[in-house]
Amino acid sequence: MDPRYDIQRRGAGGSGAGSPALTGAQARRRKMPPRPADYKLQVIIIGSRGVGKTSLMERFTDDTFCEACKSTVGVDFKIKTVELRGKKIRLQIWDTAGQERFNSITSAYYRGAKGIVLVYDITKQETFDDLPKWMKMIDKYASEDAELLLVGNKLDCETDRTISRQQGERFASRISGMRFCEASAKDNFNVDEIFLKLVNDILNKLPLEDLHSELSSSILSLQPEPEVPPELPPPRLRCC
Amino acid sequence: MDGIEQVSPTEICPDRSQLVSEDGKNTKSVLCQWCGSKVLCPGTALFAEKELFLPSMRKKTESESIALTEGSVDGETLTAHWLVDDMYTFENVGFTKDVGKVKYLICADCEIGPIGWHCLDDKKSFYVALERVNHA
Repeated sequence: MDPRYDIQRRGAGGSGAGSPALTGAQARRRKMPPRPADYKLQVIIIGSRGVGKTSLMERFTDDTFCEACKSTVGVDFKIKTVELRGKKIRLQIWDTAGQERFNSITSAYYRGAKGIVLVYDITKQETFDDLPKWMKMIDKYASEDAELLLVGNKLDCETDRTISRQQGERFASRISGMRFCEASAKDNFNVDEIFLKLVNDILNKLPLEDLHSELSSSILSLQPEPEVPPELPPPRLRCC
Repeated sequence: MDGIEQVSPTEICPDRSQLVSEDGKNTKSVLCQWCGSKVLCPGTALFAEKELFLPSMRKKTESESIALTEGSVDGETLTAHWLVDDMYTFENVGFTKDVGKVKYLICADCEIGPIGWHCLDDKKSFYVALERVNHA
């Protein structure tokens, strides 16, 4: 069976350091803010230029889709909160737009990601043809247990479609554990569902014992620093 | 100049004292002024005074590439902020790309901003300007 469903690496069944039963008490002791997030997950959105990665992120975040607002100038990442199964989940969503050349997206983006949304444009053959290259990057850099979701975007442009739904399904079916859907960020078709499904899959996979320790160690620093592992101590703080 | 003073609530002007609890935290939710997206839950941020320059607020449709370089932009220096030490304290927030050593905070939903400020040299300080958000 898929090794990712195996017993978790740390503390399975044992009362390891990060026993979830302690979290309430720990929270009080540490004076944590009221109702902190239950989980923190990192999600990245990748895909070739112009496929609508940023629109997907925006659309998920709100109803602010705007055709004039396609450029990604400015926004680096977002923290978004969703509630699922009574849990509060903070997503750190990285949109990699502007760095579409395969090798320019640093491995740090991939390394901490629990969910990877790979996007192509159903009206542009070349964005579909690029998928194997993106998969190579995922294989090379991403955690083996990252959830993968293939999204055929721009469903609102059905008349210009060049990639059939079956083609997308077929691609996804060849990759173990990869889900597939089509979406339109423009009319918000499937966008919320995409993210919620992804989060749901991630939660299913996370070993309960490990949640807190796992998550706290998976937080990337603000600036992806390609060759520096995230767990290295930060450089000495300087005055700003 | 870079010292963070935690002001005791009694020194705060009346309308502000309604926003700050006895232990210096936000009594109300912090919301985007434009779209109402929730930035912080009550009780999650500390009131802090620090002089920070924030470029003027603009909707992104007006100006796609906000020239966020200090000096070439209008803006204002604001001193009253909500301070959090962990970015995962935010309910919803966006971070701009680096402008020098600074990332500006924006609304995660409508992307209006900057509503706050973060310096890459201090990984434990995230500021949201009181004047740039609503409280409810």
